[in-house]
Amino acid sequence: MQFLSTDFVILWVISFALYYLAPKKRQWMILAVASGLFYVAGTGGIPVGIILTGAGAYGCGIYLARSLEAQKKALSDIAEKERKKAVKQGFERRRRRVQILYFVYSVGILLCTKYMVVLLPFLQMLGLAMPGSDAFFARVVMPLGISFYTLTAIGYVVDVGREQCKAQENPVRLFLFLAYFPAITQGPFNRYAKLQDEFEREHVFDYERMLFGVQRFVWGAFKKLVIADRINLFVGSVFGSVNGGLPGSIYALATVLYMLQLYADFSGYMDMALGISETFDITLSENFKRPYFSRSVAEFWRRWHITLGTWFKDYVMFSFVMSGTGRKIGKAAKKKMPRMGKHVTGIIGTMLVWLLTGMWHGRTASYLLWGVYYGVIMCISLVLESQYSIWKEKLHIKAGKVYGFFTMARTWIIVFVADVLIRSEGLSQAGEIYRAFFADFRLKEGILSVTDYGLNRYGFLLLAVACLLWLAVSVWEEKGKDVRRTIAGSPVALRWCCYYGVALLLLITGIYGGSYDTAAFLYQSF
Amino acid sequence: MEKKVLEVLEEYCEEALDYTGDNMMEEGVIDSFTVINVVSELEDVFDIEIDAKYVVAENFRNKEAIIELVRQLVED
Repeated sequence: MQFLSTDFVILWVISFALYYLAPKKRQWMILAVASGLFYVAGTGGIPVGIILTGAGAYGCGIYLARSLEAQKKALSDIAEKERKKAVKQGFERRRRRVQILYFVYSVGILLCTKYMVVLLPFLQMLGLAMPGSDAFFARVVMPLGISFYTLTAIGYVVDVGREQCKAQENPVRLFLFLAYFPAITQGPFNRYAKLQDEFEREHVFDYERMLFGVQRFVWGAFKKLVIADRINLFVGSVFGSVNGGLPGSIYALATVLYMLQLYADFSGYMDMALGISETFDITLSENFKRPYFSRSVAEFWRRWHITLGTWFKDYVMFSFVMSGTGRKIGKAAKKKMPRMGKHVTGIIGTMLVWLLTGMWHGRTASYLLWGVYYGVIMCISLVLESQYSIWKEKLHIKAGKVYGFFTMARTWIIVFVADVLIRSEGLSQAGEIYRAFFADFRLKEGILSVTDYGLNRYGFLLLAVACLLWLAVSVWEEKGKDVRRTIAGSPVALRWCCYYGVALLLLITGIYGGSYDTAAFLYQSF
Repeated sequence: MEKKVLEVLEEYCEEALDYTGDNMMEEGVIDSFTVINVVSELEDVFDIEIDAKYVVAENFRNKEAIIELVRQLVED
C-alpha cells in the first residue's frame, strides 16, 4: 500500500475518524491496528521479518531492564569501591554481550532477506531452490521497510541499555513504535523515548492541525508528482540510453535534475509522512532542512536525511570511538603522532559511518565508492577546518554574500560528482559520463537536442514554474518563516488562491498513471 | 574545573564559548568530529572515561551542560 493510492486514503480517513472517537487512553491501539493493516496490505503476506526483529528487541529490552535493576540492587548492598566497580563491570559486560547478540541477530535477518532476493534466482538455476520461490519470497517474506525498522529496533535496544529510555513491557506498543505506518517505509528514524511520549499523550481533535497536516501531505504530493516524477521522464531517458555516447552537456543537465529529483522525491515523501502523522497529533522528527543552502558537505549531511545521519553518529561513530578498541587506537595514535594523532579515531569513525551509509543505500560497488568518496571528503574537510580561517585571512577573503554563494556552489559540485555515481547504471557508465563532461561536452548539440529525452519544452516550462515555487517556499522557510501559518493568516481570497493554486497544479500537471509508476519512491529502493 | 573545561573548548571549538543557545550539536556549532576531540581531551585532562551514553545532544547543548557533565563524572 502506497501513500498515493485510494486504499491508503481510505485507511487514513477511517483510522483518523476512529482515533478521535476512541477513548483517549486507547487511541494508540487504533494506530497499532492501522499500522498492522498497512503493513500486511503492503507486503500482501506474512510480516515474518518484523515479528522476528520485534520479538528479539522486546526480549532484549526486558532483559536489559531487569539487568539494570539487578545491578542497582547489587550495588546498593556493597560498600567497598573496588568491589562495586568490579560488580558493575560484570553486569555491563553481560548486557553488552546481549546487545551484540541482538545486533548480529537483527542485521543477520536484514542481510538474509536483502541478499536472498538476489541469491534465489541463482539457486533456482542450479536446481537448489523451488521454481517460483523468488517471487514468493519477494512478495510474502521480503518485509516492507526492513532496513528502517531494523535500525530503529537496534536503536531501541541500545537506548534501553544506555538508560536513555525504559523498556517497553507491552509487545503491541513496541510493535507500534517499530511499525508506525507513516514512517515505516522510508522513515524518519524515530527515537523510542520521544515517540513513546507522543503515543502516550491524549490527543484532542483540532481543525487547524488537521488542515495543516493535509496541506503538508498535498505539498509533498506536489513535490513528488509535479517535480520528481516529471524530472524522471528526462533523467530516466538519459541514463537509460542503451547506446550511450550522449553529449556531456546532456549528462550534466540530467545529473543536476537528478539532484533535484532525489530531493523532491524523498523530501516529498517526508512531507507526506509528517503531514499524515500531524493529523493524528503525533510529531515526527524533521528529516530535511533545505540541504542545498548548505555551505559545506558536512552541513549538507546535517540537513539531508537528518535522522539517518544522527542514527549512524550516535550508534556507530560514538559507540566505536568510545569503545575499548577505539580508546586504545586513540591513545596509541596520540603517542606516535602528537599533532595528527588526535584525529585518528575520528577519521576511522567517519570512514566507518560512510562505508556503512554506502552499503545501507545499495548493494553495488557504486554505492560503496559513493560512501568512500563522502567519507574521504568529510575527513579532509574536518582535519583542515582549523586551517581554513588562516587561509581565508591570508587570501583576504571576507565572509559575505559572494563568498557564501561560492561555498554553496562548491557543495553542489561535490554532491553533483557523487550523484553521477549512484544514478549511473554501473561504474562503467559513470566513467563514461565523467569523461564526457571534460572531453565530449558538446554544449550546442546538447541545447538543440534537450527536448529529445522524454520531456518537451512545455514539460521544461512547467518544471521551471514548479521549481521556482518550491524555491520561493524554501527561501521563505530558510529565513525562519512558517509558511503554512503565514498563508493561514493571510486574507481569505489570497489564502484560498494559494490552496487552490497548488491543488490545481498538482491535479493538472502531476505525472499520473500510464506506463509510469507514480507510487515508487526513489528512497524505497535504498 | 570550569576553567579547564573552557580551555579545552577554546582549543577545539572556540564558537562554543560564545554560543548562548541550547542545541549546539543540531545547530552545527560543534560537529561530531570536534565532539570526539573534546571528549578525548576532557578524558585526558580529568582522568575520566566518558562513555558513549553520555555523548548525546542534551549533554552537549552548550558549554554549561558540558561543565555539568564533567562535574558529575569527576564526582562519580
